[in-house]
Amino acid sequence: MEKKNKMQDQLPVIELKHVDKHYGQLHVLKDINLTVRRGEVVVIIGPSGSGKSTLCRTINRLETIDSGEILITGEPLPKEGKDLARLRARVGMVFQSFNLFAHKTILDNVTLGPTDVLRVPKAKAREEAMQLLKRVGVDSQAAKLPAKLSGGQQQRVAIARSLAMHPEAILFDEPTSALDPEMIGEVLEVMTELAQEGMTMVMVTHEMNFARRVADRVIFMDAGSIIEENSPDEFFDHPATQRAKDFLNSIKDH
Amino acid sequence: MRDARTNIRDALYEEPGPITKRYTAVGTAISLAALAVLAAAVVRQFYINGQLAPRYWTIFFRWTTWRFLGQGLLGTLRAAAMAGVVTFILGFILMTGRICNYRILRLIATAIIDFVRGVPTLLFIYFFFLVLPQLGIRLDAFWKVTLPVGISACGVVAEVLRSGVNAVPIGQKEAAYSLGMRETGIFLKVVFPQAIRYVIPALISELVIVVKDTTFAYVVNFPDLMQNAKVLISNYDAMLSVYLVVAVIYILINFLLNRLSDTIAKQRPRTLAAAELKGPTA
Amino acid sequence: MGVEELLSQFGGKYAQAFRMTWRLTILAFSIALVLGVAVTVLRVSPIKPLRLFGDIYVQIFRNIPGASLLIILVYAFPYLNLVWSYFTCVLIAAGLIPSAFCSEYLMSGINTIPIGQIEAARSIGMTFTQMITKVVIPQALRASVLPLTNLLVSTMLTTAIASQVPLNPQELTGLVAYINTHAVGGVTAFFISAALYCASAVVIGRIGSLIDRKVRIRR
Repeated sequence: MEKKNKMQDQLPVIELKHVDKHYGQLHVLKDINLTVRRGEVVVIIGPSGSGKSTLCRTINRLETIDSGEILITGEPLPKEGKDLARLRARVGMVFQSFNLFAHKTILDNVTLGPTDVLRVPKAKAREEAMQLLKRVGVDSQAAKLPAKLSGGQQQRVAIARSLAMHPEAILFDEPTSALDPEMIGEVLEVMTELAQEGMTMVMVTHEMNFARRVADRVIFMDAGSIIEENSPDEFFDHPATQRAKDFLNSIKDH
Repeated sequence: MRDARTNIRDALYEEPGPITKRYTAVGTAISLAALAVLAAAVVRQFYINGQLAPRYWTIFFRWTTWRFLGQGLLGTLRAAAMAGVVTFILGFILMTGRICNYRILRLIATAIIDFVRGVPTLLFIYFFFLVLPQLGIRLDAFWKVTLPVGISACGVVAEVLRSGVNAVPIGQKEAAYSLGMRETGIFLKVVFPQAIRYVIPALISELVIVVKDTTFAYVVNFPDLMQNAKVLISNYDAMLSVYLVVAVIYILINFLLNRLSDTIAKQRPRTLAAAELKGPTA
Repeated sequence: MGVEELLSQFGGKYAQAFRMTWRLTILAFSIALVLGVAVTVLRVSPIKPLRLFGDIYVQIFRNIPGASLLIILVYAFPYLNLVWSYFTCVLIAAGLIPSAFCSEYLMSGINTIPIGQIEAARSIGMTFTQMITKVVIPQALRASVLPLTNLLVSTMLTTAIASQVPLNPQELTGLVAYINTHAVGGVTAFFISAALYCASAVVIGRIGSLIDRKVRIRR
């Protein structure tokens, strides 16, 4: 409770105001309003096709929106060009399919952003990258190409790549969905540590236990709308809507 | 929930913002103007050299012109079809040599494949046209085209077939063994029919190369499209227009063959693209 | 005629022809690379008319027979007051056709890059130019080594169209035709040229797969 009150005082890092998006006839995001404050961990859950991934991807404009407003630390997200790139550099993103640069070594994957986007000197970037790789436990693989690593290792490198940019927040788009079961734990562990260190995080996930443990807030989406928004304990124990109840039952079956 | 864009060509660009949209619009306008100027320059070049004169082009409104070109085209297609058969048979033989259990046969097959892939079609044509007669071997013009063209393409066909055979899952073979079939039977009845299905697109692409190579038929005086074009030219004194029209016909045939290949490849996701194997030969 | 007799009489000509074939090949391949890259830039540009132009260019030159193109350049273009030397005509024809294939290979090289990597590049704040130069081009080039090696070989084979025009000195195919119309060169004359072509192809292929093994990305 104490943490929550403290959070109310924190500045918003990500704000979505009346965001709408269509794919042709399909209304995929309906009047989305969401504020994520510094240090907050927000988990978005919902059935597939509910728009949760799309929502996550709009935050750094990998998906455009039709109307509404997205602010990063109070600054409206630019529509294009260098300004957009600059703002994106401040929001990390971790993908379902890792998306490491296949032609670069693990170390170079992590240093590419700092050296080329932030203009950090090479030696300094390397040093910091090695620290980050150590932190996520793949420093021994630094000289290898991504294809040589397991999925779990690749995803941890992807997290290190995001961290290297010193982001204000990190977006996780189903970070464990493409992983073999035995590798999910190692990635969630790294994410849990990040959350405990106070990183602002927005994540789309199907890992309900993890959500319950780590999230400050759970957002439940269905058919493009935010249906419920609550603390994890409240949401999982006392879902307010029938749709949330149905969803929670459906995943219990598995 | 991803965008429907699967094409990397589009994925390179983001949804454009207002500034990008303006740049793109300006770029489109400028490029349209540039292309118009280019087209105008081409037409002008034709015009000032009198090549737009009706007499060069009205011949294509005559039925007889098309009948004559059609006869040539038929010759081209006949030669291409036979060369295709030749190349398939030779390719099949080389492929079996390439995958057989005898090391010496494998080496010979590999050497032949490398040889025919490394020698230009024209050199084979000259071999059949100039060298064989010296050895007392007299062939019909038809075979002087189809054999060298077929030989020239068979190396690639052998490799394409082999990649198809390799793509057949090992379980298919094991299942056939468990039925008590024997090696040869398994290959001919189980493995090869599946392999062929995988590589049909690549084989059709190879047919494009065969069609192109048959244009050398004029070297041996075989009445193909090119040869008939020459006759037409001397009859009407219309070099440029006839050669251009003939080139367009070749381009269309090959374009359609490539289209067919792509369509089949798209319908059957398991087919193999032999992009690395095929290449241009004149 | 035996090999020795043939070489003593035509050895110098074979050496010249071999050099000519290589000269044509290198020059034509350079043209093909430059045009291929340029056309590929047009084809991936966001400007529709340029894309269409690039696509049509590729369809024309990947489908036109070399003989047809060369004959147009040599015999028909003078009617447009465009008169070039035989050498130039051969070079243009043997450069234009592979340029279309070059573009096709580069396009499929670009296509090997997963879209996710483009998104990853964007999400770490790369500009379009950075993404293209740091992520797209390096990977596309690595994937194109083997196809471009094969393209170099087929460019060499394409230069045989030079035998259709009087070139001085002749290249390897033209020389065989020449020897066989002037003397009884027979099978040997053919095989010397064929061996020189093959040796070149093998060397190119070896170097290509060596480079490919070094730079190919296993996914």
